Amino acid sequence: MAERAVADTGLEMVRPARPATGGTWASVARFCRKKPLGAAGGALMLVIVVAALFVEPLSTHDPIATDASNTLARPGRDHWLGSDHLGRDIYSRIVHGSRVSLIVGVLSTLLGSVLGGLIGLLSAYFGGKTDLITQRFLDILQGLPLLVLALVMSAALGPAVHNVIIAISVPIIPRAARVIRSSVLSIREMQYIESARALGIRHLRIAFRHVLPNTMGPFIVLATAQLGSAILVEATLSFLGLGVPEPYPSWGRMLSVSAAEYAQKAPWLVLFPGVAISLAVFGSNLLGDALRDTLDPRLRGA
Amino acid sequence: MSVVIFVLMRLAPGDIVDVLFAAAGYVNESDKQFLMKELGIDKPIWAQYVDWLRGLAAGDLGKSYRYDQSAWEVIGPLVPVTVELAALATIFSILFGVPAGILSAVRQDTTLDYVLRVVSLAGLSLPSFWLGMVIILGLVAWAGWIPAVTYVSPREDLAGHLVQFLLPAAAVGYRSSALLMRITRSAMLEVLREDYVRTAWAKGQNGRAVIWRHALKNAILPVVTVIGIEFAFLIGGLVVTETVFNLPGVARFLVEAILWRDYPIVQNLVLFIAVVVVLSNLLVDLLYGWLDPRVRYSS
Amino acid sequence: MRLRLPAALLAIVGVALLAGPVLGQAQKGADTGKAPASTKGARAPHPNGKKGGILLAMHREDLAQGFSIHETATIATVWPSMPCFNNLVMFDPFKPVESLDTVIPDLAERWSWQDNYRNLVLFLRKNVKWHDGQPFTSKDVKYTFDMVRQAADAQTRLRINPRKDWYANVETIEAADPHTVIFHLKRPQPSLLMMLASGYSPVYPAHVPVAEFRSKCVGTGPFKLKEWRKGEYIEFTRNPDYWAPGRPYLDGIRYVIVKERGTRFAALQAGRLDISFPGEATKPIADQLKASGAKLNFTPVGTNVNDNLIMNIKKPPFDNVKVRRAISLAVDRRAYAKAVHQGGAVAGASMQPKPYGFWGLLEKDLARLPGYGKPEENKAEARKLLAEAGYGPQKRLQVEMGTRAIAIYVDFASFVINELKQVGIEATLKQVETAQWHPLVTRREYQMGANLTGLGIDDPDGNFYENFACGSPRNYTDYCDEQVMKMIDAQSQELDLKKRQPLVAQIQRKLEQDAARPIMGWRLDHFPMAPHVKNLVPHHNIYNYGRMQEVWLDK
Repeated sequence: MAERAVADTGLEMVRPARPATGGTWASVARFCRKKPLGAAGGALMLVIVVAALFVEPLSTHDPIATDASNTLARPGRDHWLGSDHLGRDIYSRIVHGSRVSLIVGVLSTLLGSVLGGLIGLLSAYFGGKTDLITQRFLDILQGLPLLVLALVMSAALGPAVHNVIIAISVPIIPRAARVIRSSVLSIREMQYIESARALGIRHLRIAFRHVLPNTMGPFIVLATAQLGSAILVEATLSFLGLGVPEPYPSWGRMLSVSAAEYAQKAPWLVLFPGVAISLAVFGSNLLGDALRDTLDPRLRGA
Repeated sequence: MSVVIFVLMRLAPGDIVDVLFAAAGYVNESDKQFLMKELGIDKPIWAQYVDWLRGLAAGDLGKSYRYDQSAWEVIGPLVPVTVELAALATIFSILFGVPAGILSAVRQDTTLDYVLRVVSLAGLSLPSFWLGMVIILGLVAWAGWIPAVTYVSPREDLAGHLVQFLLPAAAVGYRSSALLMRITRSAMLEVLREDYVRTAWAKGQNGRAVIWRHALKNAILPVVTVIGIEFAFLIGGLVVTETVFNLPGVARFLVEAILWRDYPIVQNLVLFIAVVVVLSNLLVDLLYGWLDPRVRYSS
Repeated sequence: MRLRLPAALLAIVGVALLAGPVLGQAQKGADTGKAPASTKGARAPHPNGKKGGILLAMHREDLAQGFSIHETATIATVWPSMPCFNNLVMFDPFKPVESLDTVIPDLAERWSWQDNYRNLVLFLRKNVKWHDGQPFTSKDVKYTFDMVRQAADAQTRLRINPRKDWYANVETIEAADPHTVIFHLKRPQPSLLMMLASGYSPVYPAHVPVAEFRSKCVGTGPFKLKEWRKGEYIEFTRNPDYWAPGRPYLDGIRYVIVKERGTRFAALQAGRLDISFPGEATKPIADQLKASGAKLNFTPVGTNVNDNLIMNIKKPPFDNVKVRRAISLAVDRRAYAKAVHQGGAVAGASMQPKPYGFWGLLEKDLARLPGYGKPEENKAEARKLLAEAGYGPQKRLQVEMGTRAIAIYVDFASFVINELKQVGIEATLKQVETAQWHPLVTRREYQMGANLTGLGIDDPDGNFYENFACGSPRNYTDYCDEQVMKMIDAQSQELDLKKRQPLVAQIQRKLEQDAARPIMGWRLDHFPMAPHVKNLVPHHNIYNYGRMQEVWLDK
């Protein structure tokens, strides 16, 4: 019971749009007490989610407005985190950047996990030749480092938000498929599935009605764990000029060429976006770790 | 996989001829057709693919469009740089990650454990391109010094060579060691809970002996797996580190080749990375057999 | 090879030369025929050169087409290829401002204009050899420039040929004897010498296929290619058979490719490199390097590179000159130089402003052009023009601005978009990779673009025919005006500089009024180099001072 409840809070944190109910507050408190690091990660993620949701009221300036009279301003009252070489407010750009990072991170993780999950589910459920062929296909996908694949993908698809999401999600597919497949394999042998099959219920119905809900735990754990690396890959792609294009401010791109150019004169150009990326990834890693420990001890270290 | 990369690259908008014309600031359509024919990229994709495979079977990797030189001659010198960097980073990560993981597991839930875990998670969270940038810019700002920007051959200047490689290796190795530390810790924790370890403790055996003789020996398998995966990852994942530290390696060149639409180079580099992945997986499997007698008997 | 002097003799000649004024050969080429002005070389700033040493030069990116200068239009090729070649004539390496007066002999030891600037006779140096030992003759000259101008009877063809239009006025090239070449022109064109002096105009050997230059380099220049490590460095070694006695001073040059800009200047600051790359050291970089206390000398120079807005004039809304003018009015040029370049750029119309260039408009003329006067008045007028064209708060003008996904372009575009917003124009940014940008522009599949134009020479002919003439491949906007064409031809044949200057000024004003390709500003460079590098004098033009023949190291 306790585990289910925590699973729900995990969902709340990944998808904050859903209102929290009274019952879960108690388990949130318990989670905080048992996993202080995880709670810290959750809090970090919450800050980023809030920033991404309330971009307008939270920013002090228009993130793309240039200001020739106020370039490379030091952090201070006007510009909390300073301004860049075009006079744009760093703080507001970081706030706006949180939206890009989160949207790309969450959507690509979801897309990759769902697609991978489906592949894993079907592959494991049907077994035999289907399984074998799918596994070879996944081997191929997994044979390439995540960054290389994302690089080729985003070069092929061109720089646009949806393309970056697709590019980042593809490398997640095999990982998700593996995890889901292995948990389905164990569930498949369980008695109630056997009996459902004996009752003549159709394959797909069994797969989705009975097997799928039981894989939710590992699924959530996996998605949270991948979120951090998805955010990191987005930042790296943007840094290399292959990520989300202007005018959306993106943390990775804030660090590319111009930042290095002005780094000694205006270190805040390099410092703050880097810190933002690190904190976001750090937060989701902490949270992911704690969720994994709580939800699925078997996956520890996977 | 080669098909996937092959097709993907050719679906990308623009081609090498466009890039060449870009350097001249204009495009002439009829000259462009002529050039495409010269490079053989006017043929249908499948025909180009068959050509490449045929060449590959004969040991010919094809010619770089950009350099008008055999792909092997272009790629060859890059390989040792990346392999060395990846190897150094892996060694670094083993030296730091494994002991830290053991320590953290043995002292589970102490302050030390928490500090080590936070430090390691931070390692996984810092963007490597940012870390490299901060190192270079910090070094030059405070010390007025940076490592050499051209490749220093170890035969000419071993010390200079090591200095040049150790910094980037440490920057990347931090991330890998974080990963290793986590895996070592959880594997150790699991083993430490096993009956035979408890028995050994109960029998009053020396703590260090228990950890080394019993626990680590059994926890080593997942650690070896991750080392293998990580090494393979590093071969292709050093893009930004190689760029920031200006090391002439495979990954940096791959990005360059992608932007240039130099398909033969991209294909062969991707193929190379895939081969490394397969080889390191194979090596891990062999190590498994050597480390764990059960695997040897069952297979 | 047979004529190679023993090293000792060479050294004696070298030492003997050091004693006297340098560039003896330059003085020989003076005032022949009707040469417009003195062609004497300037004195070297550091005449007593020491021999030896390897110059470590910064390089931005790897070569695009090997050393084939004629097949590219980028400084990334010209800069590290120039030491391998010679031109017929060149710009005096010691004079930063380039003009007809600073053109000095290179492979042509003297020249003479005949028939009222209709024929240019060049007398070639004897005993010059290609790096492979073959003798250099007039055949090589004819071969090279027939190839570039795509003459009907040219021996070979360049696969990419960006500067064909420079030689549109050449009727024939005659190799009168092995050491005399005559350029016969259709009409008088004094500027031809300027084009021949550019770093873009090396002489190629007729006996080496053009394709070989993509991986090798056979020139007559002071340095021979030693090794090109792809993506790593390009290394040259001194040419022991070089025709100029005692030159070059350096034993070699290594151009180190450093892709990451932060690392590039960190390397210069840390002493890992001796010299910068032309056009790379922007004002903020120079300021930082100065503040760091690194031992570097700085030379503020123009680059002859401008930032400009291109608009697709053939299609609405930019077929309407009012809309174009409104756009030009909306962008405050002084704020542009300040924000996008941190003050490291100067305002000017289509020719590089003074004192960096010769032809730029005077300050008082500029003030009357769109975008240069008071920002508020300009923006008000822009809104008025937009209203006249039928755009306003009810019907906002929406445009898409394309640019290459490179930081310098994106900064430029971001600034312009923000300025346009203030007059009610909604501009969105479309970033494309280099591989896609030129195809889009060439197919005219763009509305507006943020563009950079580098001019090989500070000369009206070199600029106007390339960028504003009807039908030129690099006239991206398709601006085509019969009256302007006539004016361009008129100034080109004008022999009297006093009369030519006002004509050129008039063209510049007309181009800005028509918003043919509004110029945002001219980039400046600060070219840092280590104090021990002597005799490298940066020019107000990035393309023309890379020969390295006179450079030496005081170590």
